[in-house]
Amino acid sequence: MFERFTDAARAVVNGAPVEAQRLQHPLTGTEHLLLALLRHGEGAGALLRAAGVTSEGVEAAIGRLLHVGREVLDEEDAAALRAIGVDLDEVRARIEQDFGPGSLAPPPEPPRRWFGLRRRGAARPAGVIDHLPYSPRAKKVLELALRESLRLKHGYVGAEHVLLGLLRENAGLGASVLADAGVDVERLRRRTEVALRAAA
Amino acid sequence: MEKPSEVAAAAGSADPKVGLRAVVALHRLADALEAVQVRNARRLGWSWQEIADALGVSKQAVHKKYAGRI
Repeated sequence: MFERFTDAARAVVNGAPVEAQRLQHPLTGTEHLLLALLRHGEGAGALLRAAGVTSEGVEAAIGRLLHVGREVLDEEDAAALRAIGVDLDEVRARIEQDFGPGSLAPPPEPPRRWFGLRRRGAARPAGVIDHLPYSPRAKKVLELALRESLRLKHGYVGAEHVLLGLLRENAGLGASVLADAGVDVERLRRRTEVALRAAA
Repeated sequence: MEKPSEVAAAAGSADPKVGLRAVVALHRLADALEAVQVRNARRLGWSWQEIADALGVSKQAVHKKYAGRI
């Protein structure tokens, strides 16, 4: 899938899991793609900054938005539900089957979970991190990036196409962060397409 | 999973502390499920009105709770 990705687009794809890891999140989501676009996206990063989006602003918004509408269900809740015959693990498993890992209110993360996610890390050379897996939505953004490139009849996928994919996806936390920052998504999309045409 | 007899015993618990705590947990679970389902409905193109009708609440209520957040 990544043969046609430019160096900048690859830097974004590889940089997103690093952002997720840095923020101690369990998955690479659209919000981490947004941070990676700002950091590694060259032209796409510049377009975002011109629209008033900064890494600091994005990180603050992620922290704010992450838990809205996502009640945290802890062990005590699980025990209370068990007492009335509701198996929280079973409910979570069924929801995650349809909507992906962590889609139901995730349990508060004990520190060891993070080590668990890096279980193969010990066998790797120092400095090489295990990439956190992409969420379904973040994968969708990359698919949409490819589709945007095809639609515009470009023979490559640049960071700008990843940005277009992110704007097109429009449902993940990345999109929510942009909405929270008051970004005019349609305008940013047009500007990104203009920038791509100018570069072609 | 507990044996049915154990579940029945807990559900019939006369201790308000146990029973009320279960109510709190159920509310939290319902909120979490609602967020998942509203998010999915929006992703599938449902309008706020359609979601509100399905939930049996006002459009304003659901929009205020979720707009811009999911």
